[in-house]
Amino acid sequence: MSNFMNYVHFPIYSVMVLFLGAFLIVVLGKSKMLRSLIALLASGCSLACMIALIKPVMLNGEVIAYWMGSRALAGGYAIGIAMEVDALSLFFGLLISTAVFVSCVYSIQYMSHDDNIPQYFTLFLMLAGGVMGLVLSGDIFNMFIMVEILTFAAVALTAFRNKVYGALEAAFKYLVVGCMGSTCILAGVIVLYANAHTLNFAQLSSIIPGMMGNTSVKIAFALLFVGFSTKAFLVPFHPLAADAHGAAPASISVLISGVLTKSGIYGIIRLTYFLFQTMNLGTFRFLLVFVGCVSMFLCVTMALAQHDFKRLLAFHSISQIGYVMTAVGLCTALGFSSGIYHAMNHTLFKGLLFLAAGAVLHETGTTNLDELGGLSRKMPHTTVLFLIGAFSISGIPPFNGFASKWLIYQACYQKAVESGNFAYVVVTVICLVTSVLTLASFVKVSQSVFFGRLPEKYENVKEVPWGMRLAMGMFAVLCVVTGLFPDAVGRYLTHPAATAAFNVSNYIDSMLGAGAASEALGPFVSGAQNVVFVQPGVWSPVSWLLIMCIALLAVTLVAVSSRYDRYKAPEGPADAKHSLFFSGEEAVYSQVGGSDLFWGFKYNWRHYFSFMHDLHSGILNDYALWAAVALALAMLFMLIVL
Amino acid sequence: MNVVVTALLDLGYILIFPGFLFCFLCGMLLCGIERKIVAKMQKRVGPPILQPVFDFFKLCGKETIIPAGTSRTVFLAAPVVGLAALVVIQLFIPIFNFTAFSGNADIIVILYLLLIPALAEIYGASSTGSPFAGVGLSREMVTIISCELPLVLVLLAVGKAVGNATGSGVVFSLQTIAAYQAENGCLLFKLSMIPAAIAFLLIIPGETGTHPFDAAEAETEICEGMLAEYSGKPLAVFKLSHAIKMLTMTTLFVALFLGGLGTGILLADGLIDFFFCVVITVCVVALIDASTARLRIEQIFKYYWTVVSGLAAISLVLAWFGL
Repeated sequence: MSNFMNYVHFPIYSVMVLFLGAFLIVVLGKSKMLRSLIALLASGCSLACMIALIKPVMLNGEVIAYWMGSRALAGGYAIGIAMEVDALSLFFGLLISTAVFVSCVYSIQYMSHDDNIPQYFTLFLMLAGGVMGLVLSGDIFNMFIMVEILTFAAVALTAFRNKVYGALEAAFKYLVVGCMGSTCILAGVIVLYANAHTLNFAQLSSIIPGMMGNTSVKIAFALLFVGFSTKAFLVPFHPLAADAHGAAPASISVLISGVLTKSGIYGIIRLTYFLFQTMNLGTFRFLLVFVGCVSMFLCVTMALAQHDFKRLLAFHSISQIGYVMTAVGLCTALGFSSGIYHAMNHTLFKGLLFLAAGAVLHETGTTNLDELGGLSRKMPHTTVLFLIGAFSISGIPPFNGFASKWLIYQACYQKAVESGNFAYVVVTVICLVTSVLTLASFVKVSQSVFFGRLPEKYENVKEVPWGMRLAMGMFAVLCVVTGLFPDAVGRYLTHPAATAAFNVSNYIDSMLGAGAASEALGPFVSGAQNVVFVQPGVWSPVSWLLIMCIALLAVTLVAVSSRYDRYKAPEGPADAKHSLFFSGEEAVYSQVGGSDLFWGFKYNWRHYFSFMHDLHSGILNDYALWAAVALALAMLFMLIVL
Repeated sequence: MNVVVTALLDLGYILIFPGFLFCFLCGMLLCGIERKIVAKMQKRVGPPILQPVFDFFKLCGKETIIPAGTSRTVFLAAPVVGLAALVVIQLFIPIFNFTAFSGNADIIVILYLLLIPALAEIYGASSTGSPFAGVGLSREMVTIISCELPLVLVLLAVGKAVGNATGSGVVFSLQTIAAYQAENGCLLFKLSMIPAAIAFLLIIPGETGTHPFDAAEAETEICEGMLAEYSGKPLAVFKLSHAIKMLTMTTLFVALFLGGLGTGILLADGLIDFFFCVVITVCVVALIDASTARLRIEQIFKYYWTVVSGLAAISLVLAWFGL
């Protein structure tokens, strides 16, 4: 421990500062200045540590194996507590620390009207530390501990505004089903430990492939898979997310959707690509892609039926996670890298959208789409930032959602052609159609919140404080940048992460010493695999943007030269010609409410929607039953199909 | 020196051919021809073929009224963005073997770029807060959703068919599709692609919003819906965009299904391309426009997701089995 600034210590620092910050705020949180400073410093340091690791881990391909107290291997068994940071962990670590930092910046002004702010920041940092520890942890039991920490912090934060209608109920639902998930993870860990006598990831990865005939190992997989699915809110756990997001403060929604769901995705990736990498992936892929597609499509239609801003975003969040799962489940290099690219983009644009929803809530006190309208004149900056987020999520070029979705389509269709399986064509079509439905749903939000008619009671609404706009601006800039430079994102972030995921042996060797992988896995792994990223299509966003700019410039020149811009709003008494056209009738309020948009679509799907409406009863017993059924199905799948 | 020449050439592409000037002239001509033919079919005299051009300049001279309570920036920027996006698409669609900017976009990108003009109109309309615009944009969005599924299926079918033939599995690049057709003849003459071609022809009226798929505009019902509050120059730009959209969709059809008929001489190719556009407009858009009445929005949706998607799906399945 001679050199404290050596980068091998950075992973533990990045987790430690968050927890340390949490405890310091308990002690020193009375002063507003001090607690804001501590929270910002803690999340900022965590982010800085992660960024500093990009060079050694992402570019040089190192895997950092960090044994606490220098307790490395003993008699061939890894008994110490380890942190292992490969490119995949770092990728998720970067996402998480970015989202946490931006959300922290936002929280300071957003939460200023609430009570118990020190407790808020304590829980906030606990949640952040939990997720951070989860993705950097090197053994599966510590992963479980972190899952517990983050679940309880998230439950408490969901109920933080406990005076809001439904907050306690949402938290309770989340608590029950979240605990079922955690229990599943614990049970899975116990079964694995009983079989393999180790908890270390690398060692498990080298032992388990030899035990795949063992029924209890299969059961352990099903338990872990369902456990992590509850953290990612995949179908059938999606109703929890809607309730939780609806009730939680917006800055927490950012963490739940951008960070917490990612921890579930990360867990599933670790399971499928590392621990169980030799499992019959062909069959297993089906499960991931199937769950992904169902989540993607079901939740986007659910979102279309929502009339609350944040609930709508919550369903979209799961829909986008569905994209990630589908792409990751393809098990191709392109699929995997596009999947985690989308995971990253999802954190950015969904964070932005939740913050915009929070801004609306902060100023108007509601998120009901049928009550809002016309805020673009009162909150112009928020509107622009929201639009960037909305275009990103609905995949409009050149924003980042398009870049990653485009890769996912390519990956799906390529997979279809390579495997000759027509089901993947259906998957591609579902992906494409989901995207346009997402667009429809965000047109609905913009029409009924930011555009349309301004209700009189919102005449005095103001723009949100600068700190909140700054936080949204950070996300917006990242959305544009990651959309414009997909090649750079690929080179520095997603391709190293995908390469890491496909090179289990490298991971095992770094932890257990060179040669450990080939000794344990033998025929399965033959050295480092070369991961090739082939794309069937072409898209270069920068040149596209250049052309778009020139085109815009040309149009503007024409417009300016023809006095397009010399219009002045009339002064003095209002002239009838400047008022809206109502067919000569009295200008009564006749806005099309958010719930009534897209009637033509909903009418054709009315049976589906009424079925879905009945299904989502809001009763906790039902949702708990779904969880149990999902677990039973996963176990059956493992036992019968594999 | 070389850089300057390239830059000038690019500028020429953007501004003249196949950019703004070409789009303006051909789009307006197509629109004029369509109106004339529809009039003839309905035994009217009809406007002169250059009427859309006259309309455009007349609208440019009119006062632009921005309704009270509108978010002005969005209201004025929307038509410009929509027009620019359409011209950009036009730059990416190959005219037989010629593409102004090759290697920048594939058909999936085109699919998404096609959303931008519609989206611009939706946001422009949305910014006014007019109830007519509200109904109009709701219907427009449903029309987009309706067309999206068959369009996706058509594009995947074409990608697979060309991919089969070239042996590379799947092709999304428009240049490759054009090159393939130049060598092996048009895709339209391939049996498995005929349903997809028909589906695409049926998508054109939906995308351009002519009868019977014009529920989103529906002059007699919701006062042109999204355009209800527009006047003067922004309206002129939107009208121009509508005309160019017809050109875009028809050239896309030519690029996807009739790609093999080029001569290699740019000017001749441009003329042939435009000729096909006129033929398609007359035979498909005008004919359907003149002979049908407006469908309700939920009927449009049903029609596209069953009949048209079915046709496209047949092609996709056929292409899948290598036919």
